[in-house]
Amino acid sequence: MIDRTNEQWLAELTGPPDVQALALEELRGRLQRGIFYYLSRERSDLADLSSSEITQMAEDLAQDATLRVMENLDSFRGDSRFTTWATKIAVRVAISDLRRARYKDFSLDNLTADGDLLPANATGVTGTPELGPEDATERDDVMQRITAALKDALTERQYQALVAVAVQDVPLEIVAERMGTNRNALYKLLHDARRKLRTYMETQGLSTQYMMNLFQD
Amino acid sequence: MGIQDEQLRKLIDHIFDSHQDDVLDCDSCGCQLECLAEKVAGGASLREMWPEVEAHLMCCRDCREEWQALLCILRAESNGQLSTPEK
Repeated sequence: MIDRTNEQWLAELTGPPDVQALALEELRGRLQRGIFYYLSRERSDLADLSSSEITQMAEDLAQDATLRVMENLDSFRGDSRFTTWATKIAVRVAISDLRRARYKDFSLDNLTADGDLLPANATGVTGTPELGPEDATERDDVMQRITAALKDALTERQYQALVAVAVQDVPLEIVAERMGTNRNALYKLLHDARRKLRTYMETQGLSTQYMMNLFQD
Repeated sequence: MGIQDEQLRKLIDHIFDSHQDDVLDCDSCGCQLECLAEKVAGGASLREMWPEVEAHLMCCRDCREEWQALLCILRAESNGQLSTPEK
């Protein structure tokens, strides 16, 4: 394996076909090794896959990542080693692919403020048998006020995003795709939603400290 | 804690606790990651270098997952642990 400088990588990846082909193959192999390591060592959710399946997955992802690197070559600023920048892109390609596979059936359709996320009967105390009657009543009251705040303070879009990300643990990337937006815009939308909710709840007498105390373990 | 309480806890944590009003968004964080990851893999402290990035990573699961993956690959590479998989 040739140890190239950043300038050499850029020159060879955009060079004559034979030079480019060699550089591309080395880049792809390098990305494949990194992805394979990540998939096989860090992803417990892939533990059921055989080594050959992981190998094939890493190969396919490295191929996609190499294409993505080439498409974005102009955006490399030289702040890091070229291979680190390329690995960042490969990581994004790999993790995005895994997210899409895991959440392929996810839909926002059922997440409405009139739906059952914080179910209408969420005010029941069956889940907290350790609470005394007074504490349980207080928490019931707060739960009802939170449910009302979600409906009153948020738009439908903010509500769906908040529930999907905060309660259902769906990745931002997946929620953003379903909403026809991008991750950054969704992050900002959630930021605004949280701020609106905090403000609304403060006006209802539900301060941050009060809430954290009430719902601490 | 029942499932309903658990859902509510997660929501409250998201609204009040784990998410401070951080100044970085995902794009701003993402474009720094490779540079910072190299330094952190070499032993530097992210908190000391760029606390805003660390704050964003604490808040954003997607960015944190990608950061941790990048860091793990860089560390494995520097330790000579990356090998060509056999078919």
